[in-house]
Amino acid sequence: MKGLFFLLGTFLLVSCAVLPAIHEPSSERAGKSITCPSPFLLEKTRLIHAIEVRMAGKPKTALIGVTLVDPVSRTFSCAMMSTEGMVLFEASSGSDGVKVVRALPPFDTTAFANNMMDDIELIFLTPVGLLTRKGVFTEGETVCRRHKEQGGWVDVLAGRDGHIQIRRYSEFGALQRTVKLDGNARNAYAVIELQAIDFVNYTLIMTLIESEVVGDIPAAQK
Amino acid sequence: MIRFSYLKKAAMVLFVLLIFPVVSVQADDFARLRKDSVRISTITADFVQKKSMKILSKPLVSEGKFYYAAPDSIRWEYSKPLKSVVISNKGSTKRYISSGGKMVEDETGGAQVMKLVLGDVAGWMNGRFDSNPSFTAVLKEGPITLITLTPVDKRMAGIVEKIEITISRKDASVKSVRIVESAAAETRIDFLNAVINKGINPSVFQDVE
Repeated sequence: MKGLFFLLGTFLLVSCAVLPAIHEPSSERAGKSITCPSPFLLEKTRLIHAIEVRMAGKPKTALIGVTLVDPVSRTFSCAMMSTEGMVLFEASSGSDGVKVVRALPPFDTTAFANNMMDDIELIFLTPVGLLTRKGVFTEGETVCRRHKEQGGWVDVLAGRDGHIQIRRYSEFGALQRTVKLDGNARNAYAVIELQAIDFVNYTLIMTLIESEVVGDIPAAQK
Repeated sequence: MIRFSYLKKAAMVLFVLLIFPVVSVQADDFARLRKDSVRISTITADFVQKKSMKILSKPLVSEGKFYYAAPDSIRWEYSKPLKSVVISNKGSTKRYISSGGKMVEDETGGAQVMKLVLGDVAGWMNGRFDSNPSFTAVLKEGPITLITLTPVDKRMAGIVEKIEITISRKDASVKSVRIVESAAAETRIDFLNAVINKGINPSVFQDVE
């Protein structure tokens, strides 16, 4: 019975969640147009990150992640491997959907693949959807809010210190993901912290090992 | 959602494979390798691991240190690009990762999978290349001794296609291991600066730091 109340309470809490209010800029900033923060990739880029997986604040394991993102075509591929080099998950996402190349348990579910691809899109690609609001949060962060076509909301905000956060909410305003970019001007993706609020909450701390802009090989040379 | 009993299925596949009959060839050559390897009591070596796959433009290079003491103690320590240590000693295997400058135990199923892998690695150090019935072992003599292990079970296709091990003719120690996962993906580990039969402090197989 307690469990039922807990589930009911959680449901009510989630369904009644509201998006954080966005305010007009203060008088000192009034008149200045708000530029939406945009740390997102502009060129086809390959990034290799060390990924520390945390649950309940404790480190659980470490992996190596490789991501190849083409922001123009909005296609990407990724691989996740153990330190010892064993590939645990490899997939790509493009116009024809998500294609899993290799997935070892427990990474072999459709839900995991879809979540992983959604997270990569959230982190590296400019959000698509209608820009519904620009302004500032109570703490002073500049924020731009978009409504996604398939439902849900994405806020991209820049703090006064220049650090950027990306937040994804459900259609009903429940926070699902928070991405903190603690990189520098040279590479916003030097350190990425992704907090997932899901059936199991977890945090990924991704530290850049290397990145490179990828030039496509001309068709004639392929 | 992520659950962290990862690789369990791979471990189970390996376990199931153990029931398959032994398919070994060139028994005399393998017996000779076993005999030569008896002289090895310890190995300390640096290693360079190169991971190649389609998504990478060039191999991802990892480096570390390898320690072995007969019959089955192993410390497999990565220093770059990601620090991690697997220690297998007296039947217990633990994996540690670096977090906030400290080494902490990996609480997923990764250590148990590594226990299976390191069991094989310890066997190779002992010259027992044909002892795992999950693999067909073929030995080829030449300027270098090459042993090719091929999974018996076709269900391993896509996980491991074959493993190639090269052996030093001088001291029968393992020089390199090449794990071919598919036509587009492989892991190559080269052992360098190997020191044979020099005493290793037992703490190497007990303390993570």
